[in-house]
Parts: sequence; C-alpha cells; structure tokens
Amino acid sequence: MAEVRLLQRRWYLTPILAVIALVLAACGGSSGTTSASPTGPVKSGGSLTFALDEDVAGFNILQANDTEFVLQEIMNQVWPSAFIVQPNLKPALDTDVVTSAQVVKASPQTVVYKINPKAKWSDGTPISAEDFIYNWQAQSGNPQYKDVGGKPFIPASTAGYSQIQSVTSSDGGKTATVVFAKQFGDWQSLFSPMVPAHIAQKAGFNDGFQNFGPPVQVSGGPYMIQSYSKGEDLVEVRNPHFWGTRGKLDKVIFRFILNDDQQPPAVQNGEANMVNPVIASTSYYASLKAIPGFTTQVLPGLEFQHMDFNQANPYLAKAGIRQAIAYGTNRAQMFQRIVAPLHPHPATGPLQNRIYMPTQSQYQNTSGGFGAFNPAKAKSLLQAAGMTMGSDGYFHPSFGPQKGQDFTVSISTTSGVPVRAQIEELFQADMKNIGVKIEVKNYDASTLFGTVGPKGEFDIIEFAWVSTPYASGNQSIYCSYTNPSLCGQNWNHYASPQVDSLFSQALTTTNVTKATTLYNQIDAILWKDMVTLPLFQQPQLFGWTSSYGNVIPNTSNLGFSWNAEQWGMKA
Amino acid sequence: MWVYLLRRLAAGIGVLFVASFLLFVLVSLSGNPLAQLQANPHISPATIAAARDQLHLDEPLLERYWTWLTDLLHGDFGTSTTGQPVGPQIWPRFWVTLKMVIPATILAIILGVVVGVVSAVRQYSAIDHISTGLAYLFYATPVFIIALVLKDFLAVDVNQAVGHTVLYTIGENTPGIAGGWNLFVNSVAHTVLPVLTLVLITYAGWSRYQRAAMLDVLNADYIRLARAKGLSPRRVFYIHALRNALIPVTTVIAIDFATILGGAIVTEVVFGWEGMGRFLYEGLIGPVSPDVNVVLGWMMIAATAVVIFNVIADLLYAMLDPRIRYA
Repeated sequence: MAEVRLLQRRWYLTPILAVIALVLAACGGSSGTTSASPTGPVKSGGSLTFALDEDVAGFNILQANDTEFVLQEIMNQVWPSAFIVQPNLKPALDTDVVTSAQVVKASPQTVVYKINPKAKWSDGTPISAEDFIYNWQAQSGNPQYKDVGGKPFIPASTAGYSQIQSVTSSDGGKTATVVFAKQFGDWQSLFSPMVPAHIAQKAGFNDGFQNFGPPVQVSGGPYMIQSYSKGEDLVEVRNPHFWGTRGKLDKVIFRFILNDDQQPPAVQNGEANMVNPVIASTSYYASLKAIPGFTTQVLPGLEFQHMDFNQANPYLAKAGIRQAIAYGTNRAQMFQRIVAPLHPHPATGPLQNRIYMPTQSQYQNTSGGFGAFNPAKAKSLLQAAGMTMGSDGYFHPSFGPQKGQDFTVSISTTSGVPVRAQIEELFQADMKNIGVKIEVKNYDASTLFGTVGPKGEFDIIEFAWVSTPYASGNQSIYCSYTNPSLCGQNWNHYASPQVDSLFSQALTTTNVTKATTLYNQIDAILWKDMVTLPLFQQPQLFGWTSSYGNVIPNTSNLGFSWNAEQWGMKA
Repeated sequence: MWVYLLRRLAAGIGVLFVASFLLFVLVSLSGNPLAQLQANPHISPATIAAARDQLHLDEPLLERYWTWLTDLLHGDFGTSTTGQPVGPQIWPRFWVTLKMVIPATILAIILGVVVGVVSAVRQYSAIDHISTGLAYLFYATPVFIIALVLKDFLAVDVNQAVGHTVLYTIGENTPGIAGGWNLFVNSVAHTVLPVLTLVLITYAGWSRYQRAAMLDVLNADYIRLARAKGLSPRRVFYIHALRNALIPVTTVIAIDFATILGGAIVTEVVFGWEGMGRFLYEGLIGPVSPDVNVVLGWMMIAATAVVIFNVIADLLYAMLDPRIRYA
C-alpha cells in the first residue's frame, strides 16, 4: 500500500497486457492457464514465513480503504480469480475457478465465463454466477445497487465494472454471461479476485471484512486464513475443501515486521524466509546479499514512488504553488541516491510518466518540462502566487490561514521505512532551498492508508502505486473526486472534466494504439495540473531462503505470492 | 499487620485518585483532538460539532474528568479516535507486557542483590571491579542499543553456532505453532532476549544500591558487636546484615518499576511485541494526537501497577523490619 489502491503499493497499469488482452479478445479466445510458469519438484509439508513491512487496514482487497499491496499478497491464495497475471505480465486463466472465458460477441461485447463445476467456497457454498453478479454490482459505481443497510458500496475501483450492462446466470449458476454497455479492452482484469457474495450480502461489502472473523476465513482458494494478530502475524493453512491441486506447504505465515531494519536480522536468524519490502535501501539489500543460502532478485516492476498534493489545502489548491514545489524538488538526486545503487540496469532517471513505466513500450515522457528541477522558477511561481520572502528564508503568504507566517506544508508517509524517510529528508532540504517549510507527519501503514489518505488528512502524501498491466485501473485515482463511487482513490481532491472525458474514451476503445495515446494525453494533463509528482520507477527486491522451490517473483500487483500454492521445500 | 496493610492500600488508592486527576488534566490539555478535522476545509462544521460532542469537549474540564472517572470505575476506558473501545484492546496488551516485565523484574532483583552483595563482601577485589564496570556500562547504555546488540549480534551468532534458532528476535511466539507444551517452550524462548534487555538495564543500578547498602551495614557497630559476641559468620551475614541491607534497595526497586515499564515500551518495539508500549506509541503518533483515552488508559494502568508495586514494597518493609508496621 503505499501503495494504495490500485494497490497501494502496487497497482495496476497495463501496457503489454492490454495489447495481448485485446488481441485475445478479438480472437474470441482466452489466454493461457496458470500452469505457464516453470516449476520444480518440492516436498509436501512444512511452512514458510513471509516478512511483510505493513499491516493490513482490513481484509477486503476490493474495498477502497483496504487495497494494500500486502493484502493482495495475503489474499492471492484465498479469494478466487478468473485470471492471474503471470510474471511475464500476461494474464492466464485460472482453470481451477473458470474453465473458460471467451468473448463470444463483439457488439455488444459479451463474455461467457464457464465456472469450474467443482468450485466452491470453503463453507460449502458453490462458486457461481451469483458471485459474478454481486461482484459486478458492488463495483459498478451504480447507485441503484446498495450495500447492507442501504449504504453505497465503496469499491476500490469501478474500472470495467461500470461499463457492464448485465451479468446473467445460466447452466445452474455455473455459467456467467457478461454483456458490456461499452467496449472494455481490459476485460480480463475483471472478477480477479472475487469477494464471496453470500458472505458479503450478509456481512456487508464495506464493513463485513474490516475485522478478522468468520467472514474473512471463508476461502475459495488453496489456502484459508487461520488466524490474525494485529501487528504480529497472519497464518494461512490449506483449505481442506479446495477442489484443485492442493498447496504444498502446510502453512504460509505472514509476519508483520514493520521496521525494515529488523527484517535482515530476522532472515539471518531463521525467523523469516521471504521478504519483499515496500522499498529497499542499499544497506538492506547489502545485508540480505550477505546471508548464505538466501536468494535475492532486484527487478524493475510496475511500481513507482510519488508525492500527491491535497488540493483541499488552500495553498496547494493553486496549481502555481504545486508546480513550484515540483520545480523545487530535485528528483534526479533522489534517483541517484536511492535507486541507482539498487538498480540492475542503471537506467532512466526520474520518472516522467505516472501511467506507464519505462519498462513498458507505451512509456513516453509526457512531463512537458513540468518535472524539471528549477529552483529559480519555483521561487518566482511562489512570488506570483502572492508570497513574499521573509527574513528567515521562508516565503510568507499574503493570504489564507498562514498569512504573514512561514509557508508550511506537511508530508506524510509510512513510518519505519528508511528509504521513505530519506525521500522526506531530501525533499525537506529541497523545499528549504526554495523557502518552503516542511513538517514530517508519518503514520503506520494502516492509519495512513485507512484513515489519513481516504479522509484527506494530509498536505502532501508519499507512497507507491503498484500497477497492473491494465491501464484502465488508473481511472479511480485521477478522475474527478466529485464522483466518489467512480473515483474513490482520488484522495487529492482533483477534478478535471477533460481528464474524465479522456478516461471515458480510453476505457471504451479496443484500439490499443488509440488507448495508449489517450492515456498519455491524460498523463500530460496531470503533469500540467501537477496533481501528483512521480519520483522514480521502483526496483523491487525479492528475497527468499534458497531451500524453497517454485518461488517466482512477480512484478505485477499480485507480488510474490501469486503462486504460493506451488511453494515448498526443494525435494 | 492487617491495619498496616489497609492503611497502605488506602494511601495507594488516594494516590491513584490524585494521579488520575493530574493525568487527565495534563493529557487533555496537551493537544487538540479536533485539529485535523478543523484543518480540513472539506469537513463540515456539523461533523466537527458531532466529534466535539462525542469527546465531551464542550463540557467543563472537571465535568469531563468526572465522566471519564466514573466510566473508568465501571471498567470502561472509553473509545479511541478510531471508534474502537480501549478496554478490549488494552488488557490483552497488558498481559503481553506483563510476560516481559514480571520475569525481568524478578530476575533483575535476584541479579542486582546477588551482584551487589558479592561486590560488597569482596570489596575492591577483581570481581568487584568487574561487576562495577559492567554495572556502569549497562546503566549508561540506552535500552534500544542493548536490545539491538542482543538481537543483531548475540542471537545471530548463538543460533548459527547451535545450528538452529534458539534465540528469537521477533514477536512473542512463532505464529501457528501448536498449543500446549510446545507453545510454552516457544514462548519462553521468545522471551529470553527482551527480558535480558530489561534485566541488564535494570539490575545495574540496583546492584550499586545493594552494594552501598551492604557496605554500610557490614561496617555498622551492631555487626561488629554480633561478630564480637561470637555469632557464626553465616548468621551475622544473613540475619543481621543482608536483611537490613535489603530495606533501602526495596524502596529503590519499587520506585524503579515505572522505569521498567518505560523500558518495555522501547523493548517491545524493537522485538516486535504487541504490548502496552506499542499501544502507547500508536496513541501518541496517530493522526489525532494524543489519542486521549488510549494514553490515559495506558497511564492509569501503569500508575496502578506502580502503586501496587509500592504497596508490595511496604509489605516487604514490614517483613524485613517488624518495627515498621508499628510506626
């Protein structure tokens, strides 16, 4: 998370995938299956402890306030998905859940899902078209559909679901037919994962999975959650009712080691077998590399760090002030100090696009010069915004609640992450250089992503998005906050009819080239309006005890545990 | 003896009432729980008014105190700013902290007394110099440094030497482990380093007090008289010297119990224990800081523990020196 929604630490974008998805859609077929990745022989039994540096805010990965990357890693093996994004960023049909998913009609776009006849939730309820119908309605953004108590649903994203006209059940509930009102190229991103409808209808989509309890323990995957201790650990055990290939490990233990500095000693001490930190420092990486029998990989992924400006703040509401802060931020220095020492392919420098990553073919520099480091221009923009330089080296606003005082804004991120603290320190120094005073207000992840962000209780917030290959997932972050059902992840109070319109066009075209152009146009506007400041594409560090087999890093929003059912001690 | 005990208990309850008032005033006036809401222009005045009403901020301070106190006496610690009741959160954490603090206190007392007595009896010997040096070292070292050294160096080296994990550095036990004896042994193994951390920072000071008290007693006239009368060295040492030398140290230990609780805050964070310390930490750094009911809950439990410990110390005085109960 910090990655918030779109999976707050990883969220989804889509480059290559979209192309593949569309081609497949055009061919009317489904993509590969989950057996696509190479695996080796492993023993059955034992356990693996996965160190996570953030706790969860709730357990509904599809709910706006819960979508943390760590929760995605926890739920990968619990809630069923129609498609699973593979390490090559291509979606593969999960035949344990859906035996086929095909586009049977181009207009209106119609997709037929054949549900595995054996598929059932761990409480015995069959996985059926009712689950597809409920998951559509809950994430449609359509106010006619209500959560328990008549409350509106709060989905993390409505992308794609909002374009569905109907979902119907047939074949005794084992076939779901989805008809789209508007074309949706990223249709394979849908129903992945699915909340158990029969549970959510009683407990509630918004609130029924906020605390650990029986609703959270219902599984439709190889593993189920056995126990959860806040701030300590979450234990998954095999789902005894799972109909497909059983998981190899008896238990997968997610241990919350919230301070990154404490993870390498835990690994060295045999108390953790796997790590995938929010963002690794060079000392963290060096510590892990020095541990015998521990494998590390650093891969550029669909993850990037960024700073968001809350336009509810009367000063940050002015584009000129936001641009000034951006001009005053030395992103190249951050890249050199934080990313370059880790990156296996000394690359790109500061990130110039927030929708596509440099490792994606659709990536373009859309910054239009707004991402340049130019302290002089920053100062002139602040003066133009009505501020005068004080004798103490800080600007003094001539308006608003800070009139006549040092111009001060706060920055917030997750506590206990050394690299993020480093980003804040560099930013603080940069801002002092242009006469802006920065206060640091950090919180634990569940507070930052569960309260501070969604409620807009910040000035500037720094975290990472972890993208999927589906660029459509960006809509809920950047479309106008005035439409909360569609734009639930827009915490910045940004609104632009132009961006809304371009998203509508991009989401309803099946022309990949045109979609790419539209998304890059959106990003150019986001640069001009300085909604967020992308910092750098983040190298992802994966580490695991070498005696475990079938561990295959996945740089998409699914993360490490996408194939956890195949993990085991090497035979 | 019972009259003495009741008097001490009554005094302790009085201290708690005074402490509760002072703590309430200090914590309530130390921050504005509505600051975040008021700073957000998108929060309506009605929402702020509702929050103010929920927190009783419109009421006079004394009235708020009385409301809070009466709820507390009924076992209700109030709710945190997240809307969760504080009581159900704090008691399990208190138990977690006790699992660390009680063994640490007992072991520190034993170690402090033994080291202090040996140093005094063998004054200026090599063992006295070594124990003095170590005591000053541990006394002067911040608790987080001791914790990190034990964790990053001692645990790793020991485990590698043994070939498997015997000293644990994260959490109170291994998640998912089967219950019963295995869980007990595993929990004890997880307790070793946190307890050792607290023992080292605590025993150091106590051993110095014990050494000084023992030296005073050993050089007292009545000890010389006892020896001159031909009492056995063992009787002189245990009955006349040590018993009297324990009295001042008992006072110090009772007072220092609050220090151990303070040390537990840092130790819990370093070793990943979800105890009272972490609860206080979260109450102080949350978006609404301080989270008044969380901080007050922590402080009242800590104050109660300190008072109880002092009552126990008073009882020990009476046992060590019967004259005290009649004073």
